[in-house]
Amino acid sequence: MKADIELSLVHDGKYWVGRNASLEVKGVTIPELDEDLKRGLRESGDYAPGTALHVFMGFDYDTFPTWLRQYHTHYFNRTVLVSL
Amino acid sequence: MSAVNRKWTDGMLTTEDWWAVWVGLIMFGAGLLSIWGIDAVGWMAKTKTWEWSSFWADPNFNTLLGVSHGKAGKVYEGWGGFAALITTYVVFAGLTTVGAYFQKLDVKKFFLGFTCIFFITFAAWMIGHEAHFKAGKTSQSALQSEIYGDDVYCMTKVNKCSASINKALKSMGVDVKAGQTPTVEQAAAAVDKTKKAVRMSWGFQLGGGFSYMLALFVGLFIGNFLKPFAAFLSEAAKPEWFIKTAIVYLGVKLGHMSISSTSKVGGGGELMLDMALSGAAAAFVAYLIFWPIVYAVGRKFFNLRRDASAVLASGISICGVSAAIATAGAIRCRPILPIAVSMLIVVFAMIELVILPTAYTAIAPEQPIVNAAAMGMTVKTDGADAAAGAILDELMVARHYTATGELWEEDWILAGAVLTKIWIDVFIGVWAFVLALIWVYKVERKPGESHVGASEIWFRFPKFVIGYFIAWLTYVAIVIWAPELGKAADAGAKVVQSPMRKMMFMLTFVAIGVITDFSKLKGMGRLAVLYAIALFVIIAPIAYVVSYIFHRGMVPPVVS
Repeated sequence: MKADIELSLVHDGKYWVGRNASLEVKGVTIPELDEDLKRGLRESGDYAPGTALHVFMGFDYDTFPTWLRQYHTHYFNRTVLVSL
Repeated sequence: MSAVNRKWTDGMLTTEDWWAVWVGLIMFGAGLLSIWGIDAVGWMAKTKTWEWSSFWADPNFNTLLGVSHGKAGKVYEGWGGFAALITTYVVFAGLTTVGAYFQKLDVKKFFLGFTCIFFITFAAWMIGHEAHFKAGKTSQSALQSEIYGDDVYCMTKVNKCSASINKALKSMGVDVKAGQTPTVEQAAAAVDKTKKAVRMSWGFQLGGGFSYMLALFVGLFIGNFLKPFAAFLSEAAKPEWFIKTAIVYLGVKLGHMSISSTSKVGGGGELMLDMALSGAAAAFVAYLIFWPIVYAVGRKFFNLRRDASAVLASGISICGVSAAIATAGAIRCRPILPIAVSMLIVVFAMIELVILPTAYTAIAPEQPIVNAAAMGMTVKTDGADAAAGAILDELMVARHYTATGELWEEDWILAGAVLTKIWIDVFIGVWAFVLALIWVYKVERKPGESHVGASEIWFRFPKFVIGYFIAWLTYVAIVIWAPELGKAADAGAKVVQSPMRKMMFMLTFVAIGVITDFSKLKGMGRLAVLYAIALFVIIAPIAYVVSYIFHRGMVPPVVS
């Protein structure tokens, strides 16, 4: 599935943070992150109300400790459909 | 985006998993050049069995270490042990440091750390080959001690050594194979004549198992008592990378074993197929039994949250760290949870590795493949499982030989432990995918808004398995479709599947010890208690029963 927007996802110890060059959104839980994403996209003014966007979020595995990366190489990716 | 898996090719140059495939297949390919008469692997250093009093009488490094010279050519025949050691170091330090560069590790720190680990490994390997620890008795000494004496040990493989004594007797006019029995004097003269046997007043007869255990304890000593040094080595202490590379080399071994044994009475090829299929079934059964029990115990008796219980259940009951991370990702846990659980798994895997091989050997000495499969299901992480399988193999073969005089072919028990674990590893991607679907559609309840890609299965698939099967099946294919090339191919493969593979095992033992810090158990509280109970009360007994059902009666082929 081709995404309209791609975000790199990390967890900073308290918040899930999704970001790319022009957008940064966060939430304590994944649903809160999705709500903040919707808000951020609306406030950006780049998209008309009613637009549906596929947003790809890929977890940045470099944020895992180095010693742990040898055991597994992937955390998770998700694609969210956001209706503005 | 930095380390985000997006395309199916992502990670091919940046992960240890893929680098195990590359390092594995590079040496496998180099070994295959023997088909064209090129010996590209014969420089590999090879440990020798040595006896300390002879060594001190005439100290010579070549007594401890030799060169493999793969017999495809004569290039390395005149090499000494030191040249072989340095070449082996240069080749493997080079390959792994290139890998470290692409994996974005600190290259300088990796190179220095690998250098230390490499030479520590070879030191432990050479010490472990001292005859009092390693050597087994000759079959003559084990079965006819009244004629030969009970103090004759082998400086090479037991069957070769015993045959060498018989050959010496034949040259003296006593044909043992024709049923003739030598006198005590003739037997003594034959033993004295063969260079492959030595008389010693005592010996532990541990086979290669002592080298493994020594490497492990050296690593553990560094990891727990020399912590600044362990920190210095940590960049290069990559047991999973080393063991996955070794498992690719084991693929060569399996091809060799399944083919070479098919022609023998008892059909080793059939045994290999049986082990593979019953291993898959056993792994599947274990999956379905372990996970729900551990999850329910975590929820009911330890009041763990749903996510903590799921991550812990996967870690304990499936394949350790890999499963814990895969499950945590599938159910969108905060990363701190799988990281904490992983620390617990790594420490407990070490405890399993130290206890289980000896325990299984003592409890069921006549059920080698049952023990191997139970090991594969019980010991978590690929490194610890393969390491435990290797120790179990050495201990059980040595014990069976000393008890019965019958010598099992080596590495079948190891293969049993690794095959079971590989099936479990392969299923983890599918398992995590199912969990992710359940989480998104039943727990988050956002169908239509959130999508889980099937690519998640591929991203979680253990890539070293690809190298393992390529190596295995290529070798099988050569022998089936181009049998005239089999002998030539075997010349190179022998080096890859034996000394090279064993070196990767030895590196794993040192590295796994270095990264295991038992003090990390402090503060783990309920998680550590649940882990211990689940492991010893639930997993180990059920794994043994399941393994017994599927593998009972299977034994390795006997060396003639």
